[in-house]
Amino acid sequence: MTDDVLLDIKGLRVEANGIPILRGLNLQFERGKVYAVLGPNASGKSTVAKTVMGLPEYEVKGGDIIYKGESIVNKSITERAKMGIAYAFQSPPAISGVKLEDFICRICPDYACKEPDEELMGETCMCRQELYDDFERLGIENLGDRNLNENFSGGELKRSELFQVLSMRPDIVFLDEPDSGLDYDSLKVVGRELKAMKEKANSTMVIISHHRYVLEFVEVDKVYILENGRLAYTGGMGIIPELEEKGYDMFLAQAAS
Amino acid sequence: MTETEKKRKRAEAAKKKSAAYGEDLDLDQFEFSHEQPRRMDLDEVSEEDRDLVSEVGFDASERLASGSYLQFDNESILADVLIGQEGLEVIPTSEALEKYDWLSDYLWNAVPVDTDKYTAASELEHYDGYFIRAKSGHKIQMPVQTCLVLKKGKSIQNVHNIIIAEEGSEMHIITGCATPSDVERSLHLGVSEFYVKKKARLTFTMVHKWSDKIDVRPRSATVVEDNGVFVSSYAILSPLRSIQTFPKVRLMGRNSRADLYSVVYGTKQSKYDVGGALILEAAASSGKIISRSIATEQSEIIARGDLIGKHSGVKARLECNGLLLSDEAEIGAVPALRATSEGVELSHEATVGKVGADQLNYLMSRGLTEEEATTLIVNGFVQLKAPDLPPSLQRSIDDAIKLTLEKGL
Ligand SMILES: Nc1ncnc2c1ncn2[C@@H]1O[C@H](COP(=O)(O)OP(=O)(O)O)[C@@H](O)[C@H]1O
Ligand SMILES: [Mg+2]
Repeated sequence: MTDDVLLDIKGLRVEANGIPILRGLNLQFERGKVYAVLGPNASGKSTVAKTVMGLPEYEVKGGDIIYKGESIVNKSITERAKMGIAYAFQSPPAISGVKLEDFICRICPDYACKEPDEELMGETCMCRQELYDDFERLGIENLGDRNLNENFSGGELKRSELFQVLSMRPDIVFLDEPDSGLDYDSLKVVGRELKAMKEKANSTMVIISHHRYVLEFVEVDKVYILENGRLAYTGGMGIIPELEEKGYDMFLAQAAS
Repeated sequence: MTETEKKRKRAEAAKKKSAAYGEDLDLDQFEFSHEQPRRMDLDEVSEEDRDLVSEVGFDASERLASGSYLQFDNESILADVLIGQEGLEVIPTSEALEKYDWLSDYLWNAVPVDTDKYTAASELEHYDGYFIRAKSGHKIQMPVQTCLVLKKGKSIQNVHNIIIAEEGSEMHIITGCATPSDVERSLHLGVSEFYVKKKARLTFTMVHKWSDKIDVRPRSATVVEDNGVFVSSYAILSPLRSIQTFPKVRLMGRNSRADLYSVVYGTKQSKYDVGGALILEAAASSGKIISRSIATEQSEIIARGDLIGKHSGVKARLECNGLLLSDEAEIGAVPALRATSEGVELSHEATVGKVGADQLNYLMSRGLTEEEATTLIVNGFVQLKAPDLPPSLQRSIDDAIKLTLEKGL
């Protein structure tokens, strides 16, 4: 293990509702690098992300999660978030009465007004103009005054999640299928955002995906393939065409022999 | 027999009649006042009392009000209209009844005097209250503020209010009821009758702050005529011993509309039975009842809502949502829809639940603590945006709720 390892998942066994999902998983993530976590449906990809985030239905039964040199398995979700771990939800719950823009200003101090302006007719300045400029870049300027995740379309959810986790400036971010259900134009927007983030190189990115478009666009450093709750293959982006052609079953069988 | 005598007779007959809902209180445990309240000046209101009334939105400087009415127990009354404010009248009910013969037609017209023992007792005992009138065609921009303060123990504060928005007028009333936290067991009996005439608009915003030894039995009803609009927003955010209220709005005029909003924040062992009814009697009348209940500690909340459609083409919606923040608390939602004519469009949604774990986890993953996440969810839940409310009144409701949540969670 090098000093660059930010997150070290060691022999991790996880159950949800008594069902074993991860069965001794080992994965390492280094600072500033981009990872793709691939694998067949139900292999445990989302479970890895949710367990690292600390969602309580995922119970750690064995192994350890070492982050920045210390075990985090007993830390709360909040503590983990404050330590720089972020997770973009696949299907985030709606929170009524909470506007997206107000929420983002709350979780991301960069966007909050520095000095609360004079109260003008009771309207206090909550967010800086930059927020709206950035909203526009992701094409979600229409969502600012909508209730968080309420009646957002699939694509809007993806972009709003991405926006939130990126604006938190995390040290490691898990993006769970950030590209699923997006049209071509949105796919480009998401790819561009991720690439811009990679170029700033301050976050480790873990992208869970089935599609090569975004992965190739951001130039993933390392590919992990999970199967049945374990790490089945480690490689580079070069394997993607072959993987696409053969499918997981054949690819992993041949790789094993 | 005169009309007054007839009403008294009906009241006598209803003296033992229990209310349809709520704990049946023994009125003999309390004492009615027999004195005529005296008029007072603003300078007579102590600093302490000013603070108390400001908590329910009454501005003792009177700067932002077109008219003010302030009553302590059944003893002293302040009633003022801003100098130069035309078309507005704010006087004690007793004075108004002496001044205007026609007013007796409005007394016990919207609310039947024999509704139950509380209305009966109110008529048979000595009462006062406020009479507020926006005269025909006058649009009163700044709100009229009223406040009823209950300070005496073992007593009954007996008020009868009559509010009239005459044809084409517009008026916004903010009213508060308050009691110091150390007052002994008492009863607030408040009869309010609202009359919204043709093309008039009346908004009524009410914030209650009682203490845990007070029983509250408001009895109110509204009549809305052609093209009239009535918007009522009610927030009860303090503990009390019990409250039972079920205001009724009769939409009697063509194209009339009424919206009733309420927020109940239950604390301690308080019992809240709060509801409302819309009776849609005329063509193209419409309205909604929106209620949000939050039960904490050992509080019990029953949220009722009745929509009664009596004319084809009427439209109304009922939303009754409850949030439980304690295992010992209880919320019941009782929505009821009734149509007695074809082509009536009534709908409702009722939900009661706890703060969702998935919502909490989601917000915590964005760095909020569990408490912060809960507060945010509850805050969002009680957001009541009454579109017709002037911003200043919306703000006083928002502020009251914010203050309660900050203290409570
Ligand atoms: N909360 C849960 N309760 C029970 N089973 C679960 C739960 N979450 C995931 N699983 C199961 O665990 C397996 C892995 O799920 P997941 O990590 O979502 O797979 P992937 O993201 O790789 O498609 C699936 O069989 C799924 O049904
Ligand atoms: Mg998944």
